[in-house]
Amino acid sequence: MSQVLSNFVRALRAQDVRVSISESVDAGRVAELVGFADRQVLKDSLSQVLAKTDEEKFAFNDCFDQFFAFEQFERSKAANDQEGSEDTQSSEDENADGQDGEDAQDGEGEAGGGGGQPGEARSASDDGPSSGGTGSDGDPTGEQDEEALADRDLTALLESGDTVELQGQLAAAGREVGADRIRLFTQRGLFTRRIMEAMGLDGLNATIDGEQRSGTPQGEARAERLRVMRDDFRLDVRDYVERQLELYTANAGRQLREEVLSKIKISNVDRRDFKLMQSLVRKMAKRLISLNSRRKKKARRGQLDVRRTIRQNIEFDGLMFDIAWKRTKVDRPKVVAICDVSGSVAQYATFLLMFLYSLTEVLPKVRAFAFSNQMGEVTDLFAEEKIENAIKKALSLHGGGSTDYGRSFEDFESMALDDIDHRTTVLVLGDARSNFGDPRADILDKIHDRARRVIWLNPEGKSLWNTGDSEMRKLSPHCDKAVACSSLNDLERVVSEILRTAV
Amino acid sequence: MTEPRAEITKIQDGFAQSGYICNEHIATAIFLAQNLEKPILVEGPPGVGKTELAKATAEFLDLPLIRLQCYEGLDEAKALYEWKYGKQLLYTQVLKEKLGDLMEGANGLKESMDRLHDFDDTFFSEEFLEPRALLKSLWSEHGSVLLIDEIDKSDDEFEAFLLELLSEYQITVPELGTIKAKSSPIVFLTSNNTREIGDALKRRCLHLYIPFPDADLETKIITARVPEVEEGLRKQLVGFVQSLRELELKKVPAVSETIDWARTLILLHARELDTELVRNTLNVLLKFQDDIDNVDSELNALTTAAVAAAE
Repeated sequence: MSQVLSNFVRALRAQDVRVSISESVDAGRVAELVGFADRQVLKDSLSQVLAKTDEEKFAFNDCFDQFFAFEQFERSKAANDQEGSEDTQSSEDENADGQDGEDAQDGEGEAGGGGGQPGEARSASDDGPSSGGTGSDGDPTGEQDEEALADRDLTALLESGDTVELQGQLAAAGREVGADRIRLFTQRGLFTRRIMEAMGLDGLNATIDGEQRSGTPQGEARAERLRVMRDDFRLDVRDYVERQLELYTANAGRQLREEVLSKIKISNVDRRDFKLMQSLVRKMAKRLISLNSRRKKKARRGQLDVRRTIRQNIEFDGLMFDIAWKRTKVDRPKVVAICDVSGSVAQYATFLLMFLYSLTEVLPKVRAFAFSNQMGEVTDLFAEEKIENAIKKALSLHGGGSTDYGRSFEDFESMALDDIDHRTTVLVLGDARSNFGDPRADILDKIHDRARRVIWLNPEGKSLWNTGDSEMRKLSPHCDKAVACSSLNDLERVVSEILRTAV
Repeated sequence: MTEPRAEITKIQDGFAQSGYICNEHIATAIFLAQNLEKPILVEGPPGVGKTELAKATAEFLDLPLIRLQCYEGLDEAKALYEWKYGKQLLYTQVLKEKLGDLMEGANGLKESMDRLHDFDDTFFSEEFLEPRALLKSLWSEHGSVLLIDEIDKSDDEFEAFLLELLSEYQITVPELGTIKAKSSPIVFLTSNNTREIGDALKRRCLHLYIPFPDADLETKIITARVPEVEEGLRKQLVGFVQSLRELELKKVPAVSETIDWARTLILLHARELDTELVRNTLNVLLKFQDDIDNVDSELNALTTAAVAAAE
């Protein structure tokens, strides 16, 4: 696949479009089939191969326009008006795309033949001479030749005013110095300079100096002209570099922060990152949903599957001794989640609730409870309100007080114990700090007896358990599992485990 | 190689002849599917002509259309093949009768078994295979258009089962081995997005999203489908439907409903829209009483706007 396409795929990935290897291979085949000549057809075709959801199509359209943009070229073209009456925008685009396609092939050829290229001394001109440079890395005369060639190129190019060629060479030089690897805003100057050098800036400067020193009026005039052109061109290059920066790093910052946030302890998350965190939780929930959204099949218990029975027994001469039953699918279990929203876990509470909310979306039968010193059910609240409001309300209704596990478990016993059966998974989210009150481990034991599983998720690390007023020692024996769960990654791991074993 | 643009225009024109008006985007998808031999996953709101597209393609390429409607609980016995149990039972009866002749003069159990093994066994063979939609399309000599309709209604298992068919154009029958397509069919999968389609499936397909048509395209569609409608009325009714789609409705009118409405108006000999006419025929466009009630108050404004815009 050509360099241009693989760069384009990388740009797409930076825009959060998921492109698999096989899809990028398809893109290569598509490009081969339709060519780069017709912009609209290429765009339509690639979008069908690469972008496979609504949002991705949207991102694709933006990215395509940006990636295959040639405004500079169009601008100078308009100024020069060389094409005269060539009126349509599309014809310009066509030229531009075609140019790019050729460059792509050039780029590939170099990569295949050259191996280690001597940085600046490559100039991918479209015609013959460039082939001489590929193999002659160590040869000083070769390099000399090439540099001379490059010098002539930039000077001549600027003077000729051939913008198409100039753009092509700019793109080629950009590829060569790896402008697509630009990551930081501060690297712009560096890359601009590198690209200029790769295109033969030194030679141009030498020419300007030479003409200046020649003393003749024509020489000085030419030097002046060249200097202006050089400065203009530098602006163009800078534009190009900035576009690259935007293209490849549009989402990089966000991606990096998301990655960090999913690993960091929830208590250490900055206030200003809450929004991002929220979307992250939602993303996680969405992933869990899509992994687990298999719909339950209506099970018919104890019915003979006549078709399968006949089919299975046909090899026994139609004697029905291997009987097949219509299978009963095991239903998804119920989940009862109890969430501590008291002051000691204030930082976590928001996220725990957020997570609980997402859980109600993933699993069909979730009852959610929140407590600090009294317990209340928030299932209906979650069902009715949007996530932001639901959490706010849950916190104001049940949060803020000092924790009393004993009292809360008592409330829970009266409210929901009857509802717990052998299919129920009970999830407790809390730090087990009960302000030295009796945590009523006996109630948890009762719950444990009835429920299929009791899982305790503690936001504190294991080393902090049982210190101070933490009652994990008394409570954890009545849990099937008690785990520390302090970051989003932990949370996701635990939940996916629940879901997996829940099927 | 022929010029892709020309090919695409040809497809577009071909479709237009069979009464299916489409934009370039859709025609490009057909072009790619033909050349890359990849299935197309068509998504979009209900009633934009996803199923029609498959029909039009079949007509355009002059290939048989084989349609498989998906629903919850669809399994391979209904989609792919089934053994002809009755015939198989008869076959074993016949076999039993012939067995005596075969075993005649055999010495000992070993020789009998050897003879039995030599005997040509056709119990599991293509003759006893009852092909269903998918197998039929693989078996068709000159290719076919296979429409797997509303894939989102089927179960995940079925989706996984389709993967082999979609990427290799082959299917595996455990008793027989792998059956390859005689010539690759053109496959359409349609989805209304009632559930998210798996990534594995998406990866194997081209993805075509058909949105509601813009006013221009819809006018062309009406022209092709209901040629009796006069130009003025056509513009008015398309304009009205387009503005209706902007509103917050439970179910926005689809293209098929625009066509129905156009036919209704012809039936009523309407020459131009007015509020009363629209109110009386609104149930052709909107299928929820809530929607009709909601629109009712704005009906006058919408109608006048549509009439004014058509001027």
